[in-house]
Amino acid sequence: MTNIAYILIPALPFVAFLIIALRSRWLGEKSHRLATPAVTGSFILSVLACIDVYQNGARSIPLYSLINVGNLAVEASLYVDAITAVLLLLVTGVGGLVHVFSSRYMQADPRYARFFAVIALFTSAMIMLVMSANLLMLFMFWEIMGLCSYLLISHWSSRSSACNAATKAFLVNGVADVGLAFGIYLAWDTFGTVNIQEILTAAPNYTDQTVNLFRGFFGLDWQVPILSLIALLLFVGPLGKSAQIPFHVWLPFAMEAPTPVSALIHAGTMVNAGVYLLIRMGPLYLLAPNIMIIVAILGGLTAVFAAIVALTQFDIKRILAYSTISQLGFMVLACGVGAYGAALFHLLTHGAMKSFLFLSAGSALESLGEAHHGEPGASPRTKATRQHLPLYAGALILALIPPLVIFSGPYERLWTASQLIQSQVFFWGFGLATVFFTAFYLFQGIMEIFKPPGRIDWHEGFRPGMMRPQLFSASLLLGLMPMTAGLAAFLVIIWSGFLEFISPALPITEHLTTQTTGWTPTNILIGIGIATAGWALAFLFHAFPGCPSERWEERKKTLYVFFLNRGYFDEIYEVMVIRPYSRFSAWLWRVIDLGTIDRVYMTSAHATGTISRWLWRGIDVFLIDRPANRLATALFKMSARLSKVVDVKKTTQSELLRIMLVILVMLLILLVVVETLLSVILH
Amino acid sequence: MNLVSWIVLTPFIGLLLVGFLRHVEAVRWMTLGVTLLTLGLAARLWADFEHSAAGMQFVDRMPLGPLPFEFVVGVDGISLPLLLLTAFLAPLCVLGSWSSIKENVKPFMMLILLAESAIAGVFSALDALLFLLFWEITIVPVYFMIAHWGGPHRIQAAIKFIVFSVAGSLLVNLGIGELNSAGGHTYDVLALMQVEYPSEVQTWIFLALFLGFAIKIPMLPVHGWIADAHGEAPTAGSVILSGLMLKMGAYGLLRFCLPMLPEASTAFAPPIMWLSVLAILYGGAMALVQHDFKRLIAYSSIAHMGFVTLGIFGFNNQSMQGAVIQMVNHGLTTGALFLVAGMLYERTHNRTIDDYGGLYATMPRFAVVFSVFTIASFGSPGTGNFIGEFLVLFGTSFHSYTMVLLVMVGIVLGAAYMLGMFQRLVMNPISPLSSTLVDLNQREVACVIPLVLAIFFIGLYPTFILDPMNMSITALVQDIAPVQPLQMVEP
Repeated sequence: MTNIAYILIPALPFVAFLIIALRSRWLGEKSHRLATPAVTGSFILSVLACIDVYQNGARSIPLYSLINVGNLAVEASLYVDAITAVLLLLVTGVGGLVHVFSSRYMQADPRYARFFAVIALFTSAMIMLVMSANLLMLFMFWEIMGLCSYLLISHWSSRSSACNAATKAFLVNGVADVGLAFGIYLAWDTFGTVNIQEILTAAPNYTDQTVNLFRGFFGLDWQVPILSLIALLLFVGPLGKSAQIPFHVWLPFAMEAPTPVSALIHAGTMVNAGVYLLIRMGPLYLLAPNIMIIVAILGGLTAVFAAIVALTQFDIKRILAYSTISQLGFMVLACGVGAYGAALFHLLTHGAMKSFLFLSAGSALESLGEAHHGEPGASPRTKATRQHLPLYAGALILALIPPLVIFSGPYERLWTASQLIQSQVFFWGFGLATVFFTAFYLFQGIMEIFKPPGRIDWHEGFRPGMMRPQLFSASLLLGLMPMTAGLAAFLVIIWSGFLEFISPALPITEHLTTQTTGWTPTNILIGIGIATAGWALAFLFHAFPGCPSERWEERKKTLYVFFLNRGYFDEIYEVMVIRPYSRFSAWLWRVIDLGTIDRVYMTSAHATGTISRWLWRGIDVFLIDRPANRLATALFKMSARLSKVVDVKKTTQSELLRIMLVILVMLLILLVVVETLLSVILH
Repeated sequence: MNLVSWIVLTPFIGLLLVGFLRHVEAVRWMTLGVTLLTLGLAARLWADFEHSAAGMQFVDRMPLGPLPFEFVVGVDGISLPLLLLTAFLAPLCVLGSWSSIKENVKPFMMLILLAESAIAGVFSALDALLFLLFWEITIVPVYFMIAHWGGPHRIQAAIKFIVFSVAGSLLVNLGIGELNSAGGHTYDVLALMQVEYPSEVQTWIFLALFLGFAIKIPMLPVHGWIADAHGEAPTAGSVILSGLMLKMGAYGLLRFCLPMLPEASTAFAPPIMWLSVLAILYGGAMALVQHDFKRLIAYSSIAHMGFVTLGIFGFNNQSMQGAVIQMVNHGLTTGALFLVAGMLYERTHNRTIDDYGGLYATMPRFAVVFSVFTIASFGSPGTGNFIGEFLVLFGTSFHSYTMVLLVMVGIVLGAAYMLGMFQRLVMNPISPLSSTLVDLNQREVACVIPLVLAIFFIGLYPTFILDPMNMSITALVQDIAPVQPLQMVEP
């Protein structure tokens, strides 16, 4: 495969974006005819790229010199290895299906062309992100994805809630990106390059180096190991993008977007970027074991916390959102214990699965009339079995994957190697808890939708009827993907095949290849057993309504309320950060800018005015003007008398001229006298 | 007479020609023609510019008879991008005030040409007195634009502007006079650069010049004029003021303070860098609470110019090139924002952000271009501002991590206030005010498209700006480097 073919993978959707963006009025509802083939083309090329990478190994493709300033030289170039190749498959695959699905789902939307332009750009940016050879380009596309998510979440711009959710998503990510950007500066400062492969190669030489964290800050000196610092800072970016505690607050609100966008954000693009970065920079993290503990703890906490929150929510899209957060936490946890292969595998299966769930939820909800913002019992009973069948199937598989991932563990040796013996317990503990809750909330959520009619009757806008063929086939297709993946995962052969494909690119090849898998029948049974328990509990609650969650609600158990309110994260940020800062800014403007700085200037201006007025009255008017006026009056009176003496009317022209001449001569003499006097005085 | 002289003189000659025209349409087209001709000349200059040379090129020397100074102009890698920016923005100013200026069109167009000529003069003058002369002339057109064609509080704004400007000029005047008398009684910039001033003399000259330039930039405590002047000025006035005149201060620092007074510059660098960081945070906080979109953009200028001063006093290749490219970017994006804000203001005569909303539905073209300028303004990747801010921060990370961290907080603030404004203007439910508005017409689109293209072009191919200035900046850094190695003195 030539370099051009590789470049075409991101270029095709990008060109589609450009054309749609520029000719949006002309294309209108035909936009998908351009975008869908473009992404499909990328998918085909990605498959070819996969084969190519498998046969010929990794490859880098230089493009052009982006920046060349002093000793900072950044080459815009692409790098494709096995990790990139499988992610390309996921991104273009999910992207393509979302395009197909949206072409019907978004029908009759007034901003149809804009929607397709942005999802094409979104796909293209994610492709570029996984193909970027250096951290600077990665960061650029990381940010561009943030912009795309902003535009898509705010797609229905007339809803203030959608706009607020978009701004929130962008800003939360923006705060997290500060860490990432800082990490990139530090990486360049340390290694003298931003090229990822060069950094990873050079990193082992820097294990003993430290850096002053307070460089240039009032002479403070706090030496920290440079690799740990870089790893920690780079981790802050994924915290935001992959929605981990404490930056997870944006993702549940992102469901303000049209449902296909949720599929794209949760499965194909965006949130995967964070986990991708962790996997990509894996060798660096392995050199900073203390940071890996932080990664694992935050990931594990997120996994369990989000799973429990999902349990308490009523809105299917919100449940899916928290499920994504939980599963991402799971992946981050896997990265934190060095299980990069498992993280990547889970990334792929979860991506396929979640897009499938969102699309089937979308089609089911569309047939229910898009009223997914359900209160408990708000939904009508529906007979539509074809709609919610995929949901059940998806939930089943999603609940089953995590145990498989946990026990795919050829990682025991790694844990011993990195002195993280507890991490095994840790991983299993968090992992199994997540498995249980995942199964629980997924089934609870789905049953909640199709509950018998409840307190609120909302038949208005209710559109019964079957799913449209496109919707159904797309969701069926998506359903087949994870089903195959899930089934395949049962086969150790596939897993080892995946490992064989992926291992050249993974950080810890020697551990992976020599290990046997942890898929003993007992382990598998434990995993599936726990998942089934969760499922059964959900069914129990569903079958005997009144006894379970509602009774909890009545009792207002503190914990339940805590999780129902999503851990109060949003409220805490609102009260602790946003409001104080806006107040502070307003205060700064009123008191400092207008009240102090501006007032100083205005006061000095007024003072100048006052002083000038005083000078004018005191000096100009009183000392200069008045004598001058008096002189003028005196002269006037004198001339009046003179005119009586010399009667102007009777004097002739020549006499008048003579008088004027005399006066002029007198004035000249006066001038000369004054001049002489002045010169005498001055010298 | 070479290319640079022609760039300075063409708008001036055009101004005289426009004076003879009677018909309003003829005046507009003639002005546009003259500015486009100047742009053509500037493009030619760009093409002919030798990238591998560090010194002045296209030096043109004309004695002016009995006057104490000569007409000497020339460009190096630092002034070239700014000269091109001047020529680039001028036609857009003309297009932007095509229909918004309804009365006294001729004097207004003549003022635009006068401003262009004088600003081009500032960026290319190689004689300190000539520089000062052009510097003073630039104040005149903007003053009249604000005072005559401005908003409701124009008189106060104009007086504030002129008082601050004249105070600044006075200080620059003082500094240049002192440079002249302490440096062998010459006004030739190239000769002055060779002079080694004693350090205590440097301190005083530096303070005078720096304060004078700081008012123009504007830096933190002396920014009192900017919000009023920008808020009340007509579109072209705001664009010239923010896009071009703010850069004159930073250019003055690069042309006079750094090469001529290296010791004082390095001595004062740490407090100035901290002041710049403070300006970034302060400007952001101010912009966050504004209700008037033109004032918001004006306050954001303080933050953006903070990057420029931070970069200039970073004294290394990355930060200084970042500062210069950031000047160009700020000229483009803020100019663009003022242009589109002016288009909105022309329709409604209302500058309150909260009265708008839902413009995406009534003005889709406006929404698209405004979103581009918004993301450019907070430095989204793909736009030139990203490259500028990135380079400045790279350069700053040599000195202090704390500064880098604070500046990044400032960038997030930038995203917050720009997106906040974008949301309140363009998105949200459609307000009664915006439900009646008409979308941008062909002329207005023609006015903003070049800016959109330029912003993305610089963002994706920054070498276009960075390469010509590389040698000049390297030479400047080497000028300063012997005085002090790249180590920060603790404040």
